[in-house]
Amino acid sequence: MKKILLALLALSNILMAEINIAVSYPFIAALTKTVGGENVNITTLAKGNWDPHFVVPRPSLIRQVAQADLLIINGAGLEIGWMPPLIRQSNNAHIQPGTKGFLDLSQFVTLMNKPTAVSRANGDIHPDGNPHYATDPYYMPILANAIADRLVLLDAEHAAEYRNNAAAFEKQWQANLTRWDAVMKPFAGTKLLQYHELFNYFINRYALVSVGNIEPLPGINPSSRHTLELIQMMKEQEVKLILQDVYHSPKTAHYIAEKTGAKEVLMPHDVDAVHEADTLEKLYDTMIKRITLP
Amino acid sequence: MKKIILGSMFLPLLLSAESSSYTNYSSSFNQSAFVPDIALIVDGSYVNRSVTDADMDNYTLAGSSLSDYNEFNTNSGFNLNYAELSLHSDVDQLFTLDGVFHFNVEGVEIEEAYFTTTSMPYSLQLKGGKFKSSFGRLNKQHQHVWDFADAPLVYNAFLTPEGLNHPGVQLQWLAPTPWYMMAGVEMMQSGEEGSFVNQTFTDATSSKEVVASNEPALYIGYLKNSFDIANASVLFGLSAAHGATKSEEASFDGATTIYGADLLVKNYFDSYSYLSWQSEVLQRDAKGDDTNTSISADYTQRGAYSQLVYAYDQNWRTGLRFDTIFHDSRQSDPNEIQNRYTVMAEYNPSEFSRIRAQYAHNRAFNNVTTGENQDINTFILEVNLAIGSHGAHSF
Repeated sequence: MKKILLALLALSNILMAEINIAVSYPFIAALTKTVGGENVNITTLAKGNWDPHFVVPRPSLIRQVAQADLLIINGAGLEIGWMPPLIRQSNNAHIQPGTKGFLDLSQFVTLMNKPTAVSRANGDIHPDGNPHYATDPYYMPILANAIADRLVLLDAEHAAEYRNNAAAFEKQWQANLTRWDAVMKPFAGTKLLQYHELFNYFINRYALVSVGNIEPLPGINPSSRHTLELIQMMKEQEVKLILQDVYHSPKTAHYIAEKTGAKEVLMPHDVDAVHEADTLEKLYDTMIKRITLP
Repeated sequence: MKKIILGSMFLPLLLSAESSSYTNYSSSFNQSAFVPDIALIVDGSYVNRSVTDADMDNYTLAGSSLSDYNEFNTNSGFNLNYAELSLHSDVDQLFTLDGVFHFNVEGVEIEEAYFTTTSMPYSLQLKGGKFKSSFGRLNKQHQHVWDFADAPLVYNAFLTPEGLNHPGVQLQWLAPTPWYMMAGVEMMQSGEEGSFVNQTFTDATSSKEVVASNEPALYIGYLKNSFDIANASVLFGLSAAHGATKSEEASFDGATTIYGADLLVKNYFDSYSYLSWQSEVLQRDAKGDDTNTSISADYTQRGAYSQLVYAYDQNWRTGLRFDTIFHDSRQSDPNEIQNRYTVMAEYNPSEFSRIRAQYAHNRAFNNVTTGENQDINTFILEVNLAIGSHGAHSF
């Protein structure tokens, strides 16, 4: 019975001739679809509007990792709280770290904010640096090419297609980058407050200035003392912008906005984090629109 | 060779000029990068009970003495339940290795020490060593993962607080179904206490000799299924464990089978807040002879628990548990229900620390002297802290 099932599964795979790819977050799914086109079948494990650090390792996700030929992750510790049990329980030899079926995109990125002292007294920190590089649109062509390289390795037959798709994306993306640069240029030097250090790469790219975080320490909920200090500091430094993410309670941001008169912006950090940001391009469009519109 | 001679000739010169030409700045034999993931978890509690500790030894649960059935929060007053040291790393391209050690005031216990394969074909996984069986839902979880400070009555009575945790092998298979389906079989060395005692002894009364069954004598199998409905995950499992029971203490020579059914429904409202409902029913069938009398002494017992846990956010959780032994064929009234009600509330300052208050009203323990079920109220304040690598928890 088992053999028959296995044979059927193998047969259906051959017939479809698609590469089954499991990816951790929606932006990776968007990139992989752009590069892989019709030859790939993509499953996204996390939802765009939930906290990327805390994904529930549901058994249904084990199933999805189990049938993958390739697993693509953000890396830099972002999935440390939920991916290891999925890989361990998937009983899938093809996607184990170190095999060609495992791709960690963070290795193509220069990580920011690597802590010099690592202690949990400083909160739930990422020892390798800030893993939220996806908020910088400049990384997308680099990642698309990295994904293309891996797809070529797994499916040499469609190599030209993957290369062409990545090249086309790079070209089209260049136009977007130029457009976004132009819109963001007048906003260089804008001081802002964010909830978690989620948008550091975006902030750095467009020369904005982050003056602080609503959470007192990474992964620790706001405290009233810290909030009062922030309000005081924002008044002194005339900070007029607050970036609130979609998965933390906006209660504290509302309060600070009310006390300081700053503009509170609900910022998507990933594709599908907000309704409007349903493609990769629209993700950055939405981020930029929400910051720049009065 | 020439170079060396030349070098040695100039050595005094070089030393005075630049003493470092042969100083080795690379750590040629440094292996610190291979240090496994290390974690230390410390669990302690303050306990206030409505009966004395000495009285607790006077009670039985489902026909077994309670003195055997205490592992955590044993003493009134302060308890260091354990300091759990765990190590985990890849062995090579084929295996990972896990070691979990419980340090307590009595010494060190190897809680678990097992290898797991990572690259078996056909969605198979092999585990070997001493490990917690995946029987049921709670058995394989460590105490610090439980939603309450103690195990349900039915676990304590049928599986012992240590649970099914013996040397053995496990083979698990993930079925290629659209939903999650996992089947597993285990073979284990049966233990020195609990349902699957396996001892060679001579009965003191009848002088009957009982020979321990050829080991391994414990066989376990289970099937688990899971699927999602919107933001809710449903997980249900069926388990069975069968093994020899040769117990001097219970004067029993035979075999025991334990059947289990478990169901978990967990609905997430957002990344942090959820409501979960978890229940298990266990049945123990013991078949064999009383070694005193050589008369058949078969018996059947059933127990269950059901618990509701609500996580308000990352910091606050609260839960309610009902647990019971509801059938025991050895009692004069087999269907007399023996219950316990437990309520708990938790504050988690971060992912790495937890403070839990738990109150239980228990009418399940039988007082040996009076023959009556005893009212016991227990308050537990438990603190659990973790340092080092923090392994992600399975679902």
